[in-house]
Amino acid sequence: MQRPILWIHGEALGPANPALQAYPGQPAVFVFDAELLAGRSPTTGDPAGTAPQAVSLKRIGFLYECLLELPVSLRHGDVVAEVLAFARAHDADGIVTSAGTDPRVEAICEALEQELPVEVLEPEPFVELDGRVDLGRFSRYWRRAEREVWAAAGSEQ
Amino acid sequence: MALAWADQPGDLPRHFESRQALEAELRRLFPAAEGNLSPIRGGRRQAEALLGRVQPARYAKGRNFLDGPVTRLSPYIRHGALSLAEVRDAVFARLQAPGGGGRQAGEKLINELGWRDYWQRLWQQLGDGIWRDQEELKTGHHPGAYSPDLPADVGEGRTGLACMDGFIAELHETGWLHNHARMWMAAYLVHWRRVRWQAGAQWVASSFSHKSYFFNRGNLERYSNGTFCRSCPLSEQGCPFDTSYEQLEAELFKPLPSVRSVESGRRERSAPRSSGPSAALSRPARRR
Repeated sequence: MQRPILWIHGEALGPANPALQAYPGQPAVFVFDAELLAGRSPTTGDPAGTAPQAVSLKRIGFLYECLLELPVSLRHGDVVAEVLAFARAHDADGIVTSAGTDPRVEAICEALEQELPVEVLEPEPFVELDGRVDLGRFSRYWRRAEREVWAAAGSEQ
Repeated sequence: MALAWADQPGDLPRHFESRQALEAELRRLFPAAEGNLSPIRGGRRQAEALLGRVQPARYAKGRNFLDGPVTRLSPYIRHGALSLAEVRDAVFARLQAPGGGGRQAGEKLINELGWRDYWQRLWQQLGDGIWRDQEELKTGHHPGAYSPDLPADVGEGRTGLACMDGFIAELHETGWLHNHARMWMAAYLVHWRRVRWQAGAQWVASSFSHKSYFFNRGNLERYSNGTFCRSCPLSEQGCPFDTSYEQLEAELFKPLPSVRSVESGRRERSAPRSSGPSAALSRPARRR
């Protein structure tokens, strides 16, 4: 990609965002997701629940204050439509973002890909674990993870 | 921070005279959002200030106390103002500095960061299925025994219990709860009030555990330094948490084996509370 725009989402509102690190200075956009803020997405609401709860002003304010310290344009509405409009306005040839934990991030990337190439960058992990990780209990995960995380600490000394 | 590209029509504002002006603008932009701005400010600068105050050894000793030296970093990590890897590296650097205490001083804090990584991995693996029960409940009750909705008195912070109402007030005011308060409140909702964990999780938009964590008054009083019990109208009579773990386990999780076993030594404590004035103050009905 020669002229990408960056899509910043709510899991990476800091300078460690790998898209900001890989493409410093490129136009970047964050969209306040109308569906999510209304409490109608599984990010904040039980899909089987009957009463969606809108996201509070406290959380919106927290996000907004994080965003004011980042080089990013702010929009409100449908994320896919707003990111694509931003890309068109900047004559972009692709979109770069960071991988998220929330499945909603991946779903949005798939929709964006219908229009433009999307590059998804992985943030630095807390601990590198190869292969399948048994998450049946925290203790099983931690038996492996603890060893690796402290081994990494030792290698930096 | 100024942008290197031109604004477009419909861009949201990035410059505010004050926090008050930001709050007013957010009310206009997001009329469905309830509440006020939190005293907890967002942003990297604030996150770095908090990170600079982290003391791993003190954290390990005092983190369970409500006034203990917890990091308060969770919202910043949740939204990536700080990454978990950055926090990990900052903790390692502190441990390795002169007087930092080395690995032993940092094991608890690194373990707690591990919990966050674990939940993230689990969310990634389960996707939206994270909202479903992953295993059979360990409380002995059928899932249908739990209410799908948050009781109004809980949502409004008028349960009559000074501790729970205090936690709810803090949640409303700041959007943040100490980990121990969150666990007490989750246990109260799920076990005493028989509310589905999903209703509580949606309420605070955080993940409540549906495991059978529970607590008693001694535990709560110790780690809150008695703050709530001193002012609680139910402190002298009717506190639903004021009993042994053994007794609570029998009441909350197991079907009543027989009326006789209750009468042999337990009746004295549970009888006065079973006819409490409101659902908030009484224990849940037992089921066979």
